Amino acid sequence: MIASALTLLTLGLAPDVQRPRGLEPSAPSDVVAPTEPTRSPDEPADATTEPADASTDASTDATAGDPPTPTDPDPAAVSEPAAESSPAESGETFRVVAGNGDGAPPYYTKADLDAVRRRHGLSPEPAPDPRKVRWRCLIADPLCGFTIEMQALGAFAPRFRQGDVRERSARRWSSGRAQYDVWVNLPVLTEARGRTRYTRMTLGPKAGAIFSDTGDTWGNLGIVGRYWLGRGRFAPAIEFTSALAFKIAHRRTDELAGSQPRYEMQRGPVGITADVGLSIGGYAALVFGGQYDSPLAREDVPERFRTQASGMLFVGLRGNILWGGPAATAVMAHGLTQRFGQAPR
Amino acid sequence: MPALSSMALALVASLAWAGEGDAPGDGTPRKRNPGEYGPFFEAEAPSDSVHGEALQRGEKPVLSVGNGAFCFVDGSWCRASLLISAGVAAGMRIPASNAGPDVPYAQFSVHGGFVVRPLMYAGRTWHPWGLGVVGSWSRGTGSVTARGTSEDTQVRETTRTDATRIALHNQIWLSKKAHGFHLDLSAGVVRSAVLDSGRSLWGTHAEIGVGIGGWATLFAGGDFLDRDARVMLGMRAHGIGAGPLIALALAGMAIGGAL
Repeated sequence: MIASALTLLTLGLAPDVQRPRGLEPSAPSDVVAPTEPTRSPDEPADATTEPADASTDASTDATAGDPPTPTDPDPAAVSEPAAESSPAESGETFRVVAGNGDGAPPYYTKADLDAVRRRHGLSPEPAPDPRKVRWRCLIADPLCGFTIEMQALGAFAPRFRQGDVRERSARRWSSGRAQYDVWVNLPVLTEARGRTRYTRMTLGPKAGAIFSDTGDTWGNLGIVGRYWLGRGRFAPAIEFTSALAFKIAHRRTDELAGSQPRYEMQRGPVGITADVGLSIGGYAALVFGGQYDSPLAREDVPERFRTQASGMLFVGLRGNILWGGPAATAVMAHGLTQRFGQAPR
Repeated sequence: MPALSSMALALVASLAWAGEGDAPGDGTPRKRNPGEYGPFFEAEAPSDSVHGEALQRGEKPVLSVGNGAFCFVDGSWCRASLLISAGVAAGMRIPASNAGPDVPYAQFSVHGGFVVRPLMYAGRTWHPWGLGVVGSWSRGTGSVTARGTSEDTQVRETTRTDATRIALHNQIWLSKKAHGFHLDLSAGVVRSAVLDSGRSLWGTHAEIGVGIGGWATLFAGGDFLDRDARVMLGMRAHGIGAGPLIALALAGMAIGGAL
């Protein structure tokens, strides 16, 4: 009820030309402001719509005791807004028909904005980005914000495993690595050019599975980041990941030659894997990384369940599976490694 | 049964609230959610710049029908959603102190369910609460048991541990963004083999997660059975992302002769 009364009172007192709140006079004036900005024909057009001027003029006229006398306005400037006005409007409309012309804010018109752009060394019009993102951002692009990616890696992987701890020895062998991950990319650093927002850096969680010889299978859960070095579709980017890696399954070496080698679950402590890569767009990256598997060697664990420290380095190709290349690389690396790779006994 | 009761109560509560949002007769726009204020209910702040492309175009949730009436990928503006995902997790298997040592535990799982936003059905434009029922199946690493005296210890193991879970799923969306964050809390039951007994028992399952839209969820959970508890930290991704990768992994295993 009170709000309605205040609204009616405000509508009754308010002039037809709204002015910004900060520019309204502190005390209400008995003089009714003109419905349209008054301007002499020989006045410069730039001074027509300054609300502060209109308020000042009205107050000055009221002080002098002369009611405001609308002069002949410019038909081109006044007729159109008058035609658009309707009795239903509450007078809360502020019309701008010309810039202020003195290069100072506020900037209303295209001429004003052009002047500002010139002052700051910008081109007259922000160039629209002609590019269209393909795959609806399922392949990462600097034009995309939040993205989901399906990544596959095929790599050569020299592996090692701790040998006799009394001799500080290690067993080494050459192998391969295939990895399939889902990445969630959240934009954490962006830049704006015109009205287009580009992603500069993303961070987010990732998870997936890692495969190597002897059926060794790990899950991994970690974080992935990408820093874009450009704004194009094939802009280079630096990718970096780190994750917890935990053993899930393996295929026992001593049964590989048998008729029914078993692919079975295997436990292992949580290790770590990390890599860094240089990518071409969101398509593919050359990746270098490593992995370390912690040993399970507690005294309360029966000896036959204990595992040794082990790890691998790897270098390979990783990328989005949607365009096919990284998917084929990963599947072939996976298959060939499982078929021909064997850990030393 | 508890899930159905909770859903019924929620629906009744939401319908009782709906009358407060009736349009006034003087022609002013209807205020849909009177009295709501706070970070959950704030609209997106306007911005002069936007990304050129996005997974979701416009206001319509991605992969949805009826303007969010049903979504195949859960979203902030979906009134009902299908949940289907796959993931991995790692943690510890903690048997009773006299049953065996604590050993590492890891699993892969598939997860599915259905979630609704009851108060959005009741006429509200947006509300953070979602309620649903989820189920999952996982295959995890086996158990190690050691019983007997120090001179005569019987050590046994199992090769794997399968578990099936059904749970009541609560969501609290933390943002109105299409792929915003949400808290997920699940409580239910699990049926799984206990240690090396070879018999499946019912136990308690609980999980808390942080979801990113409907695309991924980071979760911490546990299965608590008689003398056999498993706690784990993991992540699962929507089937749209995980499915093709599982297919590739199976293809690689097939080429390698592991299947």
